[in-house]
Amino acid sequence: MASENEPIKPPPLAALDEFLAGEEVAVGSEVPAGIPGRATSERVQKIIAYIALTLIAALFFVPFLWSLSTSLKPLPETANFSLLPHTWTLAGYREVWTKFDFARYMGNSALLAGTITFSSVFLASLGGYAFARLRFPGRNILFFLVLGTLMIPDQLRLVPIYRMLTFFPVTHWNLVDTYQGYWAIKMVSASALFLMRQYFLTIPRDLEEAAKLDGAGFFKTFWRVMLPLAGPALAAVAILEFQGTWNDFFWANLILQSPPHWTVQVGVAQFSFQYGTLWNDLMAATMIALAPVVIVYLFFQRYFVAGVASAGVKG
Amino acid sequence: MFHWGRLLAVAVARRRFGRARRPGAGREALVGYGFVFLPMAVFVLFFIYPMLYAVYISRYNWGILGPLERVGWKNYTSLYHDTLFRRAIKNTLEYTVWVVPAQMALGLLMAVVVNQRIRFRTFFRGAFYFPSLASSAAITAIAIYLLNIDGLINKIFGLNIAWFYDTRTALPAITALNAWTTAGTMMLFYLAALQAIPTDVYEAAAIDGAGPWRTFWKVTFPLLKPGHFFVAVVSIIGAMKVFDQNYIVSKGTGGPDYSTYSIVLDIYNTAIKDAQLGLAAAMGVVLFVVIFVLTILQWAFFGRQEAA
Repeated sequence: MASENEPIKPPPLAALDEFLAGEEVAVGSEVPAGIPGRATSERVQKIIAYIALTLIAALFFVPFLWSLSTSLKPLPETANFSLLPHTWTLAGYREVWTKFDFARYMGNSALLAGTITFSSVFLASLGGYAFARLRFPGRNILFFLVLGTLMIPDQLRLVPIYRMLTFFPVTHWNLVDTYQGYWAIKMVSASALFLMRQYFLTIPRDLEEAAKLDGAGFFKTFWRVMLPLAGPALAAVAILEFQGTWNDFFWANLILQSPPHWTVQVGVAQFSFQYGTLWNDLMAATMIALAPVVIVYLFFQRYFVAGVASAGVKG
Repeated sequence: MFHWGRLLAVAVARRRFGRARRPGAGREALVGYGFVFLPMAVFVLFFIYPMLYAVYISRYNWGILGPLERVGWKNYTSLYHDTLFRRAIKNTLEYTVWVVPAQMALGLLMAVVVNQRIRFRTFFRGAFYFPSLASSAAITAIAIYLLNIDGLINKIFGLNIAWFYDTRTALPAITALNAWTTAGTMMLFYLAALQAIPTDVYEAAAIDGAGPWRTFWKVTFPLLKPGHFFVAVVSIIGAMKVFDQNYIVSKGTGGPDYSTYSIVLDIYNTAIKDAQLGLAAAMGVVLFVVIFVLTILQWAFFGRQEAA
């Protein structure tokens, strides 16, 4: 093992650095004012720029804030156009949570997103490590296949996957409307594996060599040496997979057909189909569907950026 | 971005000048297979196999219980005369033609803005990216609310339009919605491209006395050409796949009067509602071919670049 007293720092995530580079610009460094009137004109220019920025930001936030405010109003008040509720109430949340079963949908979403994030991080790092470090015949061919899967759009897979899940090859299971069916197709993604492999390639080899000299096996080297060093990439993959699964509508809508299995996204869509004008309830449902991803984003913004940059090819 | 040609070259070279066998190579190989087994099983079973299976299904008249009869390429020829599929293609193309430039322009504008030396740029970047994180279902529910006949948008502009219930406005409303929500992602791609431009070109432009407006159009914009191309292809591919918003605003019908009926919505309804899996698979193959050609174009142009 590497010596205990010098801390091993994980190598930086390339895509992350790319975006963080230039972040530490000397903000607000003044242009030397020599020409009369220049300072004021520049100040005016700057103020205009900030006003424009704030307006764009407002344009992006107002729909969310308006929806948030509606979710806190009693139903009759949703007809009024006041930004803040006159009577603040959580009635909308209470109703969707209990009467319209969103507790159940949230539970399903949490279960699926949690398990799939975990399995994807584990399998992608295991596979990514093997493709980055272990030598075995046919490795390049297999890696070609992994990259190839990135090119297959979900929309082409819709029909065959649906057929496979209704009548699974060999075993003849019917996996439509089961968690198992959803798990099966979502367990691990090629973009996650690709991201992990690229990251493992950037970790210096000497650490593994040291572990090997200490007699650690392949799995132990992977588990005790490589994984702890892969923190940033693991976080990026975990966040990418969590967001992808939590937000997924396409597959959840196709596979999880009956209300007890609905995820919160399917629940929101179905609620708008059936109770379209219960605006406070619909917006409350929407807010709880948004909340987990927003919270994760607030804390781990940089990893979102890295994930999109590395795996944005996914489409 | 990876490059197929180079990977192939590496693979060939490896084979030719293969290393001498090392001690413990057999064990390492076994462990390697063990590590990749589960992910590879998933990729083969749920990606590679379905792709071939889709082509197979598309050559059959295939009902809910299985294949009925082999029809060869008839599903493809009947697609050509299928008025609903043509309508779906027309809608999808119309959507693409509008949404792609809108996403690009908005994404570029935001990228340029947050690439400036301004205070709170992390905040603004986060704010601009915010709609891109929201799920399609949630964002569509918000759009349904804002664009209903008594909604905020009508109120602000003094209009009286039921946006998602009018054949003239339903698809444009979806276009605007998706331009808004996807622009943040395009901004990130443009940011990466902007940061790849060396600063000395800007210095040279400044020395020549070019103002910010002129510098942008004469220097930045042309230098972003690879970025434009990348963003355009990503955006077009995404637009061809439009489904969630159309499905949700129209309760799965593609209405009013098929004005929001997209290609993927047609695939979905043909397969799930009409149980014509053969026909739906053929549509999927057609869409795949279009996307595949676009992807190849992208790789041909971007193969050598590691960006994004």
